[in-house]
Amino acid sequence: MSAEKPSSVEYIQHHLQNNYVGSGFWTFHLDTIIVSAMLGMLIIGVAAYVGRRLETGVPGGLQNFIESILDFVDKTVRESFPYRNPLIVPLALTIFLWVWLMNFMDLIPIDFFPYMFQLLTGNPDAYLKIVPTTDLNTTLALALVVFALVIYYNVKFKGFVGYMKVFLFHPFGKFLIPVNIVMTFIEEIAKPISLALRLFGNIFAGELVFMLIALIGGTMAVGAAALFWAPLQAILDLGWAIFHILIITLQAFIFMVLTIVYLAMAHDEAH
Amino acid sequence: MNDQEQNAVSNSAQVNKEKPKQGFNFLMIGSGQMFTAMIISGFIVGYFIDYLLSTTPIFMLICGVLGMIGGAQKVQHMVNRMDKQSTKDVNNG
Repeated sequence: MSAEKPSSVEYIQHHLQNNYVGSGFWTFHLDTIIVSAMLGMLIIGVAAYVGRRLETGVPGGLQNFIESILDFVDKTVRESFPYRNPLIVPLALTIFLWVWLMNFMDLIPIDFFPYMFQLLTGNPDAYLKIVPTTDLNTTLALALVVFALVIYYNVKFKGFVGYMKVFLFHPFGKFLIPVNIVMTFIEEIAKPISLALRLFGNIFAGELVFMLIALIGGTMAVGAAALFWAPLQAILDLGWAIFHILIITLQAFIFMVLTIVYLAMAHDEAH
Repeated sequence: MNDQEQNAVSNSAQVNKEKPKQGFNFLMIGSGQMFTAMIISGFIVGYFIDYLLSTTPIFMLICGVLGMIGGAQKVQHMVNRMDKQSTKDVNNG
């Protein structure tokens, strides 16, 4: 941002802009890619660290914490996935942890990392958006990977012909095949779209509220008025941050559970 | 994946078939979004058909309507299933 104080609109627009290279279809959002990769590496690193120091007796704090998350995911999979597939629990655990950590970046004070980045690069207009799930590319990519797995297991367990029959004869039977094809196609496409848009929408809206709260102190606090607006901003920020912990956890849980359910439906031969 | 795990995956459709499918109740979490997503996907599918056939906006409108019908039907199907399950649970005490 430039040296003079930005207007409210400029402030929000600046925070909604990714740091990118390329153009058109080949635009790469560097901040999204780097932050999500670093969070993925954090999961791998912590898992490797705990894995090397596993205790069979009384586990330490970190191992205990990780075991409780693993138990929670395992229980959810057992409740919602009636088949046996060794891929599902690791997949669900990875999705839950990764999505939760990406959402968690929303709780870091909104100007902290962008300001540090601007100081580091010496560019007062440098962009940095550190919440990967507020980028539709991330949520859509996650949803498309899940969708690819759903198609794979559909073809594996129903067979290619069986899967095609779902498109031909569902939902109106054999007399409306052209309509059935379009409707089933729409239904299948709706799965990744609803997965991606739900996560993106919730986290993006949460971040916008953080920006609006930040603007209270940023634009309204002048002179003695700051004595009123600054504490109000702090209280609102704290309240929204506490509420947001629930939202980020719930969204990570919903993404994980719906992935499991869609995969369970793909395993169902009769569906 | 070792051989044992691969066999488990390939046989998974035959395993545990009798178990209740409680997980499908979780679909209710996203029933509202599924309804809107069906309409959005209807428009997207229609847009691409129109793009291929140069018939804008005929298929976009048709598929949008089909998406809305499909979405309503899907939500009704989910609610029905939930309703049956609740009735069964109440009857079983």
